[in-house]
Amino acid sequence: MQHHYHHRSQSHLSAGVPTTPGGETQFASEAKLGKKRGSYNCGRCGLPKKGHSCHVAITTAAIESTPTHADSSVAISATSSLSTTRPPPLRQHCSNLRRALSFDDDVEDVRGGFPEPEAAYDEEDLQFDDPFPDPDSGGFPPGCLWEILRRLPPVGLLAAARVCKGWRETARKLWRAAEELRLRVPARAQVGFVGSVLQKCPGLVRLSLRMESDVDATMLACIAFSCPNLEFMEILKSDTAMNRITGDELGRFVADKRCLKSLKMEGCSNLGGFVLCSSSLSTLWLSDLFSLSKTVFNCPNLKEISLEFSRQQNDSTDLTSMVDGLGRYCTRLQNIHMASLRLSHSVVLALTGAQLRWLRMLSLVLGSEITDASVAAIASSYPNLELLDLSGSSISDSGIGMICNVFPETLSRLLLALCPNITSSGIQFVTAQLPLLELMDCGMTICDPNSENPLAGESNDWELKNISKTKLHLVHQKLIIKHNRLKKLSLWGCSGLDALYLNCPELNDLNLNSCKNLHPERLLLQCGNLESVHASGCQELLIEAIESQVSNDFLAMENVLPCKRLADGSKRVHVPHFLSAQSYDDDKKQRVKRQRCNVLVR
Amino acid sequence: MSSSSSPMQSTGRKLKLKSKDDETFEVEEAVAVKSQIFKYMVEDGVSNGPIPLPNVNGKTLARVLQWCQKHADPTITEDELNKYDAGFIDVDQAVLYDLLMAANYLNIEELLKLACMRVADMIKGKSPDEIRRTFNIKNDFTPEEEEEVRKENAWALGP
Repeated sequence: MQHHYHHRSQSHLSAGVPTTPGGETQFASEAKLGKKRGSYNCGRCGLPKKGHSCHVAITTAAIESTPTHADSSVAISATSSLSTTRPPPLRQHCSNLRRALSFDDDVEDVRGGFPEPEAAYDEEDLQFDDPFPDPDSGGFPPGCLWEILRRLPPVGLLAAARVCKGWRETARKLWRAAEELRLRVPARAQVGFVGSVLQKCPGLVRLSLRMESDVDATMLACIAFSCPNLEFMEILKSDTAMNRITGDELGRFVADKRCLKSLKMEGCSNLGGFVLCSSSLSTLWLSDLFSLSKTVFNCPNLKEISLEFSRQQNDSTDLTSMVDGLGRYCTRLQNIHMASLRLSHSVVLALTGAQLRWLRMLSLVLGSEITDASVAAIASSYPNLELLDLSGSSISDSGIGMICNVFPETLSRLLLALCPNITSSGIQFVTAQLPLLELMDCGMTICDPNSENPLAGESNDWELKNISKTKLHLVHQKLIIKHNRLKKLSLWGCSGLDALYLNCPELNDLNLNSCKNLHPERLLLQCGNLESVHASGCQELLIEAIESQVSNDFLAMENVLPCKRLADGSKRVHVPHFLSAQSYDDDKKQRVKRQRCNVLVR
Repeated sequence: MSSSSSPMQSTGRKLKLKSKDDETFEVEEAVAVKSQIFKYMVEDGVSNGPIPLPNVNGKTLARVLQWCQKHADPTITEDELNKYDAGFIDVDQAVLYDLLMAANYLNIEELLKLACMRVADMIKGKSPDEIRRTFNIKNDFTPEEEEEVRKENAWALGP
């Protein structure tokens, strides 16, 4: 499961610039709800392996800060100015956690995955004695036609089938051979459109529907009927569509589909409660959950679960008993992701009380009531975690200490964004203590969110006397990070950071969005493999400093001029476009990638 | 276009090809083996005398060989190749058709994919009638059949 990394980091802040086209940037626009969607690139894990199940939560999109939130948070900070811990900042981001699937974002074309022709040919079609068409038919030879039509999106194939008999036949074969279908269902789709498409491909194994019209149980029934071999199902939902499926209906569907392995569904606000019984189900993602009453997960082979709850305040789900039940039935769980404002220490205790021997990825986000004690519980029950995401929690540097104590041999991904009680020393400690770390997200940690007022303009002039003692650790912070394996680092929104030194030879992606106070002369990037640096919301001078530093690195690597001695004794010096000398000798036809580092400002 | 020697090739062995309209071409082995059929010939040691290609005309063969040479160049970057391909395949229909046939006949997988993708792009978004006109395809359905196939392939938003 890949999540969209960049989106979260860029769009949550009031001053941040969302990456989506047409996204809005001003504070004023945050009042509007809604999800932003963007292109789904390989996500936060930074490891581009296909099929890689990286259980990383990303928050994206719409900033849902209502005036009431702002008021209450100001009140809280005033009263607690003398305490050593701060309450978590107001939830300025709306985490419509989007997972980055390799989904075509082109809404016009939804690519159907048709298999290679070899898999589907009947005996008679294999004979290509006459590779050239009869001139009168004006068509293409059979082999070519298959290659062409299989590249059409589903709706294109429907049109192609109506062209002539030969095309109809080939289209029919393609449908029958189709194992994977990704379909966008438009807002005013004809009734039965999905049904008629599904009936053409009875061999379907993977189905992904992007619903722009409402979806209810009749869709489930249609899928159940038409796709007997379905193993992977995904229902995505546009902002305007409604998902009316109830818990009972979902439960029936899951119970009946004996080979369903993976179920992902968005917009689950009408479930109300459910009983899911399946021995085949191994992946379950449900988002936009709200006020679930009873929940039973009778899925002994469940390996990955992702439960995202809606941001609404009055969610009455009893998370503790839900997690309790989960732990009891689904003992094979490896990846757990939960996002809910109501996550708390007691939920963590329910989790650690379960015997989940295979747990490797744990993500419990948005829970301000998750504390250092929770970290202690997690560390003692699940010491082999590879990913830990406690973004939005109240853990402090001592929680970090525990993490570094227990997990150095396994942890490769640590996400602690929006954790107001961790400091730059904590972050540095992590990078020094966790040798396997590949991804680290410390967005919005070294900052004072209550002073994030974009209307006040550039905050270059700090009036030091106005800053209370407790906030001193949030300004003029310096980070020195030297790490051999780190691939992705996010420091978005760390406006308290004014100096940064990075020596990370494997670093590919660096997010410095809204690091407003990072001083251009106190930045040193020695990361030869850097591919992108995000610098939206940063000072102009900083952006220039970044650009010059990354291109210096690039140029430094280009001082290799391989030359070749030719047979006649002459020497030809070839000025290469590639960085390393060894590919020159490489016999294979290797495409040489020119590594340019992109500095992204929007 | 005659011999296509690229400074990177060290074997120096060349294949002679003869198109349908008797144009001859000399091409480096490393370039020619982009085509599976030449690859087998080279491997089997059958490469004496010009290889006749009665199904490909000279103009098309020249283009195809140019493509092969570009793709056999180890110094070219992926970005440059993609740009080249985009320009290469942006041709009119008749040429595209010839390229498609040639790639199919010579079994040059990547070129075939490129050409097919281009044809698919030309089909996308068109109605059946428009597709027929673009490719000069005869509608061989009877009116009843046409209605039947229309129902079978109902578009999301209407007829």
